[in-house]
Amino acid sequence: MDRRLQNALKGLTSCDIEQRRRAMDPFVRATFESFIRYLYRYLGNETECEDILEDVYADIWENPEYLNNIVSQRQLLKTVYMYYMRRRLRQVYRRINRHLNLSQNNLTNLVGPELGVFEMMSQSELKMTLHKAIRKLKSREQRAIELWMEGMSNRTVANELKTTVGAVKMLKFRAILKLKKLMQEFYQAE
Amino acid sequence: MSDTNREIQELLVDYAGALRDGYIPSFLKSLTREEGKLISSSGQFWDATEIVRILNGVGFADKAVTADVGLFMSRVDANIVSRSKKARASSQRKHSGRFTSQKRNNRGTKSTTKTEKTEKQI
Repeated sequence: MDRRLQNALKGLTSCDIEQRRRAMDPFVRATFESFIRYLYRYLGNETECEDILEDVYADIWENPEYLNNIVSQRQLLKTVYMYYMRRRLRQVYRRINRHLNLSQNNLTNLVGPELGVFEMMSQSELKMTLHKAIRKLKSREQRAIELWMEGMSNRTVANELKTTVGAVKMLKFRAILKLKKLMQEFYQAE
Repeated sequence: MSDTNREIQELLVDYAGALRDGYIPSFLKSLTREEGKLISSSGQFWDATEIVRILNGVGFADKAVTADVGLFMSRVDANIVSRSKKARASSQRKHSGRFTSQKRNNRGTKSTTKTEKTEKQI
């Protein structure tokens, strides 16, 4: 782990409130990028990500006891997700749950789920495994996923592949399930 | 997303689109009762959501990284200051409450209950 981050963590876990506040600046600078990228997976909205992250950092300042004995960046990310981010994520949509046709349990699993196998991999590892898996898909499935990742709508993807929107949705659904299987295989092989 | 009772593949793709474009609340609100039941009973849907999140993270998370971390830091600092003020205010309130009750005890006055008062009168 980065020495600067190590020092910031030491300051954060101190008993003195002012020292914790001083340590927050280097801690935010060292972790902001990875934390916001991680949150973005679950929200897909920059403004909401920043709002939640602001509360997450303040929560860390208030109750930093979970950050004792952190030795790696991965462990830090996992701990912060488990004890700080997930609670905040689950709070985001709780207020609209009254009007939803989705059980509280399903809502919780959708917006702040338990950690899966891939969710603890680093961004670069994920990128590599995902690209490897995408290359194994059929060319049409590959194209559908790539176009979607370029930000295109289902209609545009359908026009590009000269098919219907319904067929594109089916194609993407199958491709995503295949990706899951392929990525699991790669993960186990490694 | 206005179709009623979508199939599971449509629901997943709509969820993926909502996650990519940042309108999860609208997606959640668009679910009908049947769709809600379909989601909760479908293992495939839950299998796929993990990959959808990863695609979202790998493909689009870079745009969430703001250039000015300093500005964000000032927001965090303001949040911390307001929390510490709140904590201080509540501890002062607690302290002053304890202090007034102690003061009353020091004066030697004893709080009398309603029944005690009536007993005295009798």
